Amino acid sequence: MSTIKYANAVAAIRAMENSLLSRSDLDQLINAATKSERDNIVASKRGAEEFTLESVWEIIRGYAPDCRELEILLYKNDFHNLKAALKSMIAGKEPQGYYIRPTNLNLDALYPALAAKEYEQLPEHIRDTAAEAYELLTRTLDGQLADSLADTACMRAMQKAAEKSGSEFMKKYAQLTTVCADIKTAYRCSRMKKQRSFIETAVCGSDELDRDSLVRASLGGSEGLLSFLENTSFGDAARLLAESPAKFEKWCDDVIMELAETARMEAFGADPLAAYFIAAEAELKNLRIISVCKESGTDRDIITERMRKLYV
Amino acid sequence: MTNGLVLAILGAALAALLAGIGSAKGVGLVGEAAAGVVSVDPSKFSKVLILQLLPGTQGLYGLLTAILMLSRIGVIGGNAAELTVSQGWGFFIAALPIAVVGLISAIFQGKTAAAGVGITAKKPEHNGKGIIMSAMVETYAILALLVSILLIYNINI
Repeated sequence: MSTIKYANAVAAIRAMENSLLSRSDLDQLINAATKSERDNIVASKRGAEEFTLESVWEIIRGYAPDCRELEILLYKNDFHNLKAALKSMIAGKEPQGYYIRPTNLNLDALYPALAAKEYEQLPEHIRDTAAEAYELLTRTLDGQLADSLADTACMRAMQKAAEKSGSEFMKKYAQLTTVCADIKTAYRCSRMKKQRSFIETAVCGSDELDRDSLVRASLGGSEGLLSFLENTSFGDAARLLAESPAKFEKWCDDVIMELAETARMEAFGADPLAAYFIAAEAELKNLRIISVCKESGTDRDIITERMRKLYV
Repeated sequence: MTNGLVLAILGAALAALLAGIGSAKGVGLVGEAAAGVVSVDPSKFSKVLILQLLPGTQGLYGLLTAILMLSRIGVIGGNAAELTVSQGWGFFIAALPIAVVGLISAIFQGKTAAAGVGITAKKPEHNGKGIIMSAMVETYAILALLVSILLIYNINI
């Protein structure tokens, strides 16, 4: 689709970007003493309008002439919801409370489709994984293994969809998301001394970080993995991961935001819409961190250190 | 009606037609972007309206060229000249600069102005910069108009 088709959507998104929180707003929030003070600061920025990822997605969907390319942004939620539905089925619980929104899936139809093994009712990108994970989970009752399978399938589906879309932005987004997930998984596996077969299921691999090398490195323990990463273009990430997983998580969010920043100069196309969604995600995460840290009495400097990069 | 006159009238029609199509495309594109901004912030209507008007000028230049040409060959006024084929070609070619440049520059000006709408959305105080950048594209439409007019008035009838 011609990028010119997005002229209306991009202009509307540009106007909406004005209501995203700036660095000075975050500083005010960090310095605010009470929750009501924080609520007032946020309300003064964007009024009483609801600001959740679901509402942001609905807005983007309303403006975008074609959402197919942007749906990749929700794949993580889709696969989370698949895992939630499968586990609820095994545990005999209602899955609704475990679902994450926004999602590309029809959540009312997900559980019944899985229960009836009618996988063809599911969207193409999760169909095969749903069947495979269901079979694995019922056969082994190993939730962790089924989770790993779904997580890896999610990354593969993102890469495949991004490749199909032809969007460089989405390709890079899928690759960075995969790299972050792979490093995190490989590190956990190395710490827990997981077996090769498990690590091979759990690590996806990408053009940026080869799967086999990552599996081999994580079999050598966390030290081996970190020294392997030091020799890749993710040396910074390795150093942060060695310091603390929280710092690595921040690095992951920040590299995605750096990618989003490249779309700030684009006047047309779907990239600015995707960037706005990423910006909203980061902002909501920052608000959550501030809220939790304030409740637990965390020092201001530590809260500032944990703040994710902003889009505006 | 001579073949020469038909060629001249065809030229006049092309000038109005192609430049008009370009302007319609350009204005439409900026209109889409402007509507996006106004749907979120209606107070920016007047600022984005200026940007939307900019690609509309090529259509006017095409119309002006067509009127001047029709007037020169006497179609307006009811006393059409008996033009030879070479004179007809002369008028036809005279219409081409504004017809072609008008079509292309209006579309590109529309794209630039639509990007300028983004500036207005984010930084309304820098609206003027978006207007200047779009106006730069106009230069070439004006040059084409000038060439078309010079040609029209320098063909011997």
